Amino acid sequence: MIKKGIRIEALSKRYGKGDTAVYALKDVNMEVAPGEVVGLIGPSGSGKSTLLKCLGAVIEPTAGRMILGDETIYDDGWKVRDLRALRRDKIGFVFQAPYLIPFLDVTDNVALLPMLAGIANADARSKALELLTALDVQHRASAMPSQLSGGEQQRVAIARGLVNRPPVILADEPTAPLDSERAMAVIRILNDMARKFETAIIVVTHDEKIIPTFKRIYHIRDGVTYEEAGEGRGFE
Amino acid sequence: MISLAGRDIMHAWGKFVFTGVGLGLLIGVTLSMAGIYRGMIDDAKVLLDNSSADLWVVQKDTLGPYAEPSSIYEDTWRSIRGMPGVARAANVTYLTMQVREGQRDVRAMITGITAGEPGTPGWPPYLVAGRQITRGHYEAVADIASGFRLGERLHIRRNHYTVVGLTRRMVSSGGDPMVFIPLKDAQEAQFLKDNDAILQQRRRSAANPAFNKPGSPGLLDAVIASQSSNAYVNAVLVQINAGYGVDEVAESIRRWKRLTVYTRSQMEEILVGKLIATSAKQIGMFLVILSIVSAAIVAFIIYTLTLGKIREIAVLKLIGTRNRTIAAMILQQALALGVIGFVVGKISATLFMAPIFPKYVLLEPLDSVIGFMVVMLICVLSSIIAIRAALKVDPAEAIG
Amino acid sequence: MKKLPIQGRTLAMLAVVIPLLALFIYVGLRSGPLAPVAIMLATVESRAVTPALFGIGTLETRYTYKIGPTFAGRVQRLDVQVGDRVKAGQIFGEMDPVDLDDRVRSQNAAFKRAQAVLREAEARQTYAQTQANRYEKLFTARLTSEDIVTTRREELKIAEAGLSAAHEDLARTHADREGMVAQRNSLRLIAPADGVVAERYADPGTTIVAGQTVVEIIDPKSLWINVRFDQISASGLAKGLPARIVLRSRSGQTSQGRVLRVELKADAVTEEMLAKVVFDALPQPLPPIGELAEVTVDLAALPTMPAIPNAAIRRVGGRVGVWQIVNNDLRFTPVTLGAYDLAGFVQVREGLTSGDQVVIYSEKALTSHSRIDVVEKIPGVQQ
Repeated sequence: MIKKGIRIEALSKRYGKGDTAVYALKDVNMEVAPGEVVGLIGPSGSGKSTLLKCLGAVIEPTAGRMILGDETIYDDGWKVRDLRALRRDKIGFVFQAPYLIPFLDVTDNVALLPMLAGIANADARSKALELLTALDVQHRASAMPSQLSGGEQQRVAIARGLVNRPPVILADEPTAPLDSERAMAVIRILNDMARKFETAIIVVTHDEKIIPTFKRIYHIRDGVTYEEAGEGRGFE
Repeated sequence: MISLAGRDIMHAWGKFVFTGVGLGLLIGVTLSMAGIYRGMIDDAKVLLDNSSADLWVVQKDTLGPYAEPSSIYEDTWRSIRGMPGVARAANVTYLTMQVREGQRDVRAMITGITAGEPGTPGWPPYLVAGRQITRGHYEAVADIASGFRLGERLHIRRNHYTVVGLTRRMVSSGGDPMVFIPLKDAQEAQFLKDNDAILQQRRRSAANPAFNKPGSPGLLDAVIASQSSNAYVNAVLVQINAGYGVDEVAESIRRWKRLTVYTRSQMEEILVGKLIATSAKQIGMFLVILSIVSAAIVAFIIYTLTLGKIREIAVLKLIGTRNRTIAAMILQQALALGVIGFVVGKISATLFMAPIFPKYVLLEPLDSVIGFMVVMLICVLSSIIAIRAALKVDPAEAIG
Repeated sequence: MKKLPIQGRTLAMLAVVIPLLALFIYVGLRSGPLAPVAIMLATVESRAVTPALFGIGTLETRYTYKIGPTFAGRVQRLDVQVGDRVKAGQIFGEMDPVDLDDRVRSQNAAFKRAQAVLREAEARQTYAQTQANRYEKLFTARLTSEDIVTTRREELKIAEAGLSAAHEDLARTHADREGMVAQRNSLRLIAPADGVVAERYADPGTTIVAGQTVVEIIDPKSLWINVRFDQISASGLAKGLPARIVLRSRSGQTSQGRVLRVELKADAVTEEMLAKVVFDALPQPLPPIGELAEVTVDLAALPTMPAIPNAAIRRVGGRVGVWQIVNNDLRFTPVTLGAYDLAGFVQVREGLTSGDQVVIYSEKALTSHSRIDVVEKIPGVQQ
């Protein structure tokens, strides 16, 4: 079994050069173990988004190291050639809005990632169904996304993030549109899944309701992170 | 791997088909335009086919009888008939004029056919109803495009003609339906315009002292008689005997009879190359413009469809979909739109547009094939803009 | 029923796409150049073909009298108008005699003078005779001399010669007078036969040249039609054949007639034969001379033979024939044709037998490779 979790060391993102250089991120260190759910909190413009994009291999940092599982993916430059494949196979995304593909049914929305990776349709679908069952939305497997409730959509989105069993899941404000009861449900699911699939989950949020659930929280301000222990009420 | 394009189309198939039908109508118009052009050329060709002649003997140095007026003496055919290699020679007259029936009048090409039996050059080679002309006067065979029916009485110049037969696709190079009448009647129709004109002519002759000398009674009558007879025809249609070369016979008639002779290929060149050249170019320009408009519309539709999915595309990219897959999705949609458009276009052009055009619309299968390829090409080209837009989407847009 | 939405959508899409495709295939194959050619069939039937000839002609009269003076002169009076009936010998007009009457009177006077001279000569001769007889008697009685008797005899001879001259002179003046009267009479316009005035070319006062027509008289009972038949379709035209005549002014009304004679000379320029056709009974009221008439001459019915409508006849590769369907394929059968009738039937002498099916109508020109579709009615033909 591959080693999971994510570690970043002295990760920086600089815009511009020389005197006009602006650091969006400066020597950020972060480590999330498999099965762990951490919070990433910061005000707007703090670099939170930039960090997420760097973690998601969508934008390129300017310095530092990123180690995903046991693979160094960034060390003052990308170490992986195919970033798309990396995103597909190693990183799960859960967004503020579910962003399901409207023209695919629930199963295919989830099965799309394994399919993109070249897995046969039937296998991909059974994989998807497995996750949908785990997330308790298997009864909506043939529905179209527009027919689902918000909570169901978000669970399908989580299933999609998890389907390729990535070492890390990046969740961007996953509870923002939900009321507190549903938000807590989502966080509970994320915790369950993190444990179940040995995945590191980073939840970017400023949702006061869920902050107390994290054991560890990274605060980010002006491109710099500060780690602190959360209340860590968790859901054990 | 599932077909993203297919799923997208299935998801919004109503919108998609509706768009396709709209595009289809445009393609239908474009196909009809091409059909009109083909129809014009076909009109010229059927005119030549239907005269069933190998050679056209016309007035010297004219492009007659279709492209230019031509008149030769009506007894010229006899000397042509005697030329070696000539199997049959028949007089013919052509005159485009209004034919009246009741309250209606129809523009038609009156064709005077020499008396004889079916199969004589100039006669309609086939009928769709009724019979061929059997009387030497006052019977007519009309093309169904004229709208005349069997048994109707036509009014051509001074005389009434009974429609005894109907033909199909017997048209002049301008697309006017043909009406076949006996040659002698046609000669008269060509010359004796109307009663009033005849009367005026007589009066003019009577007023001319040279024709109305007191000392020579009967001169005026003779002059008037000679004025009101028409000893001319427009052309002589010639069929040649097997074993003789068309050019060889044509050359000998040219040389010995000092008349202009056209072969089938020369005639086609005159009709297609000279008579309808400008109209053909006109249609060609329309075709080009319509193709450009279609291309622009396809491009616009595909672009709009893609922009509507920009968020999904960003998500797809973020979760690791290859550019190729996304481009293929857009391209497939464009092609599918093109196929629907073409199918609808072909159907609408054939079933709805072609029949309502007053002129003949000939939809050649080869044109359809070319049209299909052009539509596909246009779809590919116009999807390029959409693909470029889709590829420029930053996967980061999906986050925050 | 969670699966329904996608299935329903698929079904709906198929419901649109399948008919569309079916229509497309139909359109591709059943219309345009690839479409089969609609044809109609006819059966060859044995029937008696009654050939007939059709010609047009103008009403003319057999006898037309064009009456005019034999001398140049001026019309003095003209008593008849167009349409007036005239009798044979009727004087209906006169030329201006100018001095002719005076000359007749002068001749009369000369005649009377000649008569007077004759009477005088007779008196002289009687006197001379009497004198001669008296002196002969006196001489016989020797009462006078022979010399005187001789003188008397000479006088008698002179008187007799004078009388003879007077006689001759009288005859001359008589003849002169007669000539003048005859000349006077020729200025009268006299009807040579019973008839109707058809045309009046001059009015009194008009000067006309010798031989110019003043009045045209026709005999309406001698109406006939000068008919022209195209030479190519005039075989069998003969004297005595029955004819049906339709006048242009009375279309729909057929009069019976017959061919009176076929002209020995045909029109070489118009390639027509000429014939005269007369009415069995003259139509009343009389039609105007010069009216156009359509004449159909019925020939004797021919024995029954296979016959086809002339619409079936095609010429392919220089041969006349018909299209037949053999084993679902088109085949061109050359035929030898016989007589035609005006209804469009043609005898088939060789090539077909009764009961054969031939293509009568087709939507397009046929070839042996044409795909065909036998129909009841060619599409697009309005009845």
